[in-house]
Amino acid sequence: MKTQKLFECPSHTWIMFGRDDEKPEAIIDTNQYMVVTKNNSLLMDPGGIELFSAMLAAVIKQVPANKITHLFASHQDPDIISSLGLWDQALPSATLHSPWLWESFIRHFGMNNINYAAIPDEGNILKLDGVALEFIPAHYLHSSGNFNVYDPEAKILMSGDIGAAMEAVDAPLFVEDFDEHAKKMRMFHQRWMPSNEAKNDWVRRVRKLDIEMMCPQHGRIFKGDDVKRFLDWFESLEVGVLNKG
Amino acid sequence: MTDLSQNYFVSVAEIAAKLDQATTIAQKLSLTASNARAVALRAGERAAGFRPLTDFIDRLAEITIGSSKKINQMAAVLSQTSAEKVRADGAILHFNSVYKIAHESPYIHSLDEVYERCKSEQDRLEKTYRRQIEQLSEELATLSSELRNAVILATLSRVEASQAGAQYQDALINVADNVEGAAGKIKNHIKYSQQMVSTLEEY
Repeated sequence: MKTQKLFECPSHTWIMFGRDDEKPEAIIDTNQYMVVTKNNSLLMDPGGIELFSAMLAAVIKQVPANKITHLFASHQDPDIISSLGLWDQALPSATLHSPWLWESFIRHFGMNNINYAAIPDEGNILKLDGVALEFIPAHYLHSSGNFNVYDPEAKILMSGDIGAAMEAVDAPLFVEDFDEHAKKMRMFHQRWMPSNEAKNDWVRRVRKLDIEMMCPQHGRIFKGDDVKRFLDWFESLEVGVLNKG
Repeated sequence: MTDLSQNYFVSVAEIAAKLDQATTIAQKLSLTASNARAVALRAGERAAGFRPLTDFIDRLAEITIGSSKKINQMAAVLSQTSAEKVRADGAILHFNSVYKIAHESPYIHSLDEVYERCKSEQDRLEKTYRRQIEQLSEELATLSSELRNAVILATLSRVEASQAGAQYQDALINVADNVEGAAGKIKNHIKYSQQMVSTLEEY
């Protein structure tokens, strides 16, 4: 499991975990993100059961276990949060922030200890030691109850499945040639994203945010101008299309 | 039969399912007892020797239903415990793996408290699991012993049926057959369950 620091300032740090070359071949590669503040940490889309040991091992190289106080699941998919039953044992005092829509579904992964903080449809803000992290609505992109995480200070948007691409585990962490990368994203977005209306609404809202880095849950991170290129590309893409690639 | 080293919790669920079938058969035995009483009443004096036997059939049905239900509940609780045990065992395996991968991490010992808690939960579940298996095994043995009476009861019923005259003889022999048949089926389920339980005890 690779670990990459994405942003650092006196109040907080963004760390990415991914490109796990020891994961079973048949499961999709995922990116996990963590924001570390003075006394707390938010672990975002912590991943599937298969990834748990590698993830926990990677995370406690950065912070002690009792500092991982918050988890975030953008939606209900197994690659996002099927490890919950194990985190529930590892972090019994933690809080999971996730869409209200999925609470009774996500609890099927096993949740006896962790507290579920349901995010309302319009989103909300989590403050960790004074650092504000905004849960931005991204419904139907792809899940019907779905959120991104935006950090206005770091100018980072954790975009979940938006901007995702299927890549090899040894792929670079950042997008280098947008046009080449777009080819890898096309089928995923057309097939997984069901609503042009929801997509265009998201693009309109996200264009108003100041974003330096857009971090999807699969594939590469978009930096600088590539964020705007992505928004233009996504806006013009017809989604909800049965495209077999 | 499943591979117990991998799937003992599936075996426990199979035992629970088998014993659920035994409860259904025991309920049919109760119907047989009511039927036997009705036939004996109709036969009057000719079935005078049969009537006390209907009380025994009734008692056997009652004991079997009660015991089957109890065993069935015990098996269901055991099934739940074994599923929890699988999860606890899995968590310990994952934590062991984390200790191995991250042994050089400066924060590795921040997991110690969690590990100890999970380990103690695993131990508690292991003890509960063993105790529940033992209790299930004892209850199965008790019911099995009660069912031995069914064979004697069926034999006596046949003897008394032969005295009841042609009009009621067939119906009463049928009662005897039903008692013997139901008891035999339940015994088979219990025997299968006892075999599975003894394998679980060894595991």
